[in-house]
Amino acid sequence: MRRGARHVATVGDLAKAWTVRTLRARYQQSVLGWSWAVIQPIATVAVFTIVFTRFVRIDTGGVPYIVFAYTALVPWTLLATALPDMATSLVSNFNLVSKIYFPREALPIAALAARLVDFGISIILLAVLVVAFHTHVSPPWVLFLPVILLIQLALILGLGLGSAALNVFYRDVDPVLKLLLQLWFYASPIIYPASLVPQRWQWLYFANPMAGIIESYRDVLLAHEAPGWYLVPAAFGAVLLLVTGYGFFRRVEGRFADVI
Amino acid sequence: MATAVRFSRVSKRYYLGLTRASVASRASHWLGRAWRRGSTASPPDNLFWALRDVSFDLEQGESLALVGPNGAGKSTILKLLANITVPTSGQIEVNGQLAALIELGAGFHPDLTGRENIYLNATLLGLRAKDIDARFDDIVAFAELERFIDTPIKRYSSGMTVRLGFAVASCTEPDILLVDEVLAVGDASFRQRCVQRIKSLIERGTSLIFVSHDMGLVKAVCRKAIYLEDGLMHHHGPTAEVIDIYNAVLDRRRAASLDRPERAAADASLAVEFTQVDVVGGDPCAARDLYGDQRAEVRVTYVAHRPVRGVNVAIRVYRTDGVSCFVTRTHADSFPVALERGAGVITVALEPLQLFGGTYYAIAWLTDADDANGICRASSDWFEVKNRTSGHDIHDAVFEPRRRWTHVSHGAPEA
Repeated sequence: MRRGARHVATVGDLAKAWTVRTLRARYQQSVLGWSWAVIQPIATVAVFTIVFTRFVRIDTGGVPYIVFAYTALVPWTLLATALPDMATSLVSNFNLVSKIYFPREALPIAALAARLVDFGISIILLAVLVVAFHTHVSPPWVLFLPVILLIQLALILGLGLGSAALNVFYRDVDPVLKLLLQLWFYASPIIYPASLVPQRWQWLYFANPMAGIIESYRDVLLAHEAPGWYLVPAAFGAVLLLVTGYGFFRRVEGRFADVI
Repeated sequence: MATAVRFSRVSKRYYLGLTRASVASRASHWLGRAWRRGSTASPPDNLFWALRDVSFDLEQGESLALVGPNGAGKSTILKLLANITVPTSGQIEVNGQLAALIELGAGFHPDLTGRENIYLNATLLGLRAKDIDARFDDIVAFAELERFIDTPIKRYSSGMTVRLGFAVASCTEPDILLVDEVLAVGDASFRQRCVQRIKSLIERGTSLIFVSHDMGLVKAVCRKAIYLEDGLMHHHGPTAEVIDIYNAVLDRRRAASLDRPERAAADASLAVEFTQVDVVGGDPCAARDLYGDQRAEVRVTYVAHRPVRGVNVAIRVYRTDGVSCFVTRTHADSFPVALERGAGVITVALEPLQLFGGTYYAIAWLTDADDANGICRASSDWFEVKNRTSGHDIHDAVFEPRRRWTHVSHGAPEA
């Protein structure tokens, strides 16, 4: 029986091996290698910092804009790079899916894991920025970071597994996803603080789980306080998406090899 | 003995076409259906049954070959067993660890080294890291890649890649092994070692399901076989029986694809017409079956519209694959032919026929006295020659000589 612990162990082994393969392939013949993981968000932050400190003033509550934006951009980049990778992970390895049996979820999970490595590198830089530009870090609230990250991972996993499965049947998923990510970027408090949204629309604004997640990162890292109420609906939304996305994945995975 | 694999009434249906369609074409399909109100059933030409109602059991330690022409459903059975795809209906029971040698090296990445690919591929096949460590040296030795193990796979020759693929896939020591046509590649000595490896796995109790178009290999490896065609199971029995069926079907297909032997056509402008060419068993009392060691006759029926003299009749026999088996001429045999107006039959008796079991046809033609200009020609239908001596192995020979065996023993060498 391919169930339970054995299944999890196999998925784990496979995802690990596949992650290493993905990373090797990504950075193998590039001169800057791993530093690309940092260069991309840094470049974006540099542009934002120039635009939003010279031309448009945004009230960040006293936090230097570069730190303010980078704090949001690091988790956003994880989502925005992992989701398209996950969505195409099955289709781009159709050769494998149609010819070998292995737990299929290993491929999207490995795609996410490979981006998590980039995320880890960016987090180190984020820590440096926070300490350098910001007065102090308050340890007790920083302990919330893993919780926020777990909620974000649940969100990404749910969406990624669901869209990977759907993409096997409809290739439109990939372009649709990229379009949605563009809109989603502006619907999330990345270049601006959530406090800019009028009070009476806040409930609707935080129906977007990424809004709650990003604001929580800022609460913990920059405002030195516990995450706000919005982390709770974000957590519910993320878990709901995880259950739905993975459920859908399991339901249709038997047909992958036939239609891919 | 325990059952390793049980297939009960398994069917597999594939949808063709619309499954990969874009939303736009789906939408237009639905709109079209709404337009033609009522015809809600999807057109049947969208469906393709790769397997229909197939049942068989495989006992532990048994070896079973799946034999049949392309598209018979052999690979579908392996894919279902390997859990790559699921059946449309029916039950599949698999007891034990299963390994599939279906696509060797499918998980190889060209930029990674041989070593890295061994770990990656073995993990894909379900091995844990410590199992791979234990078998690593064995894998490398079997693939004979000691010197190149830290070279990226993209620098390997295709033979090296296949060797590595087989070495990884076969090292898992599974309870059930699926092998699909993977031995068609690689050189003869490696192939031999692959067969040895498979045989030694069977000896250790592994059950085998084997797909190959190489009947020699099938016979060497499997005791039982299934004949499949168009997704249906036609026969399940000893390998030799199934191979006979397969060869007969292949022959029929080849025959159908060859130019159909031309039939005599009535044409009054010709001096002579051959209206029929028959190949029949020489013994009128016996059944119509032809045997290589028995008398047979080729009979050419003709109608002469005017008398011709000093002509030459030639008969040539072809095998289905176009091999010319023999030719015989009246001129060469100093048998004079002079045809008067009217009908008649020219017969050549072959005593005995001396053709090996297989399917053949005969062409007869008439040439003028100089043997330069053809007057007319006609062919027989296909005829089958049966083998009395060995039940199997039809078609690997043309000639069945008259023979007599002797044996002289010289006893033990003197001390």
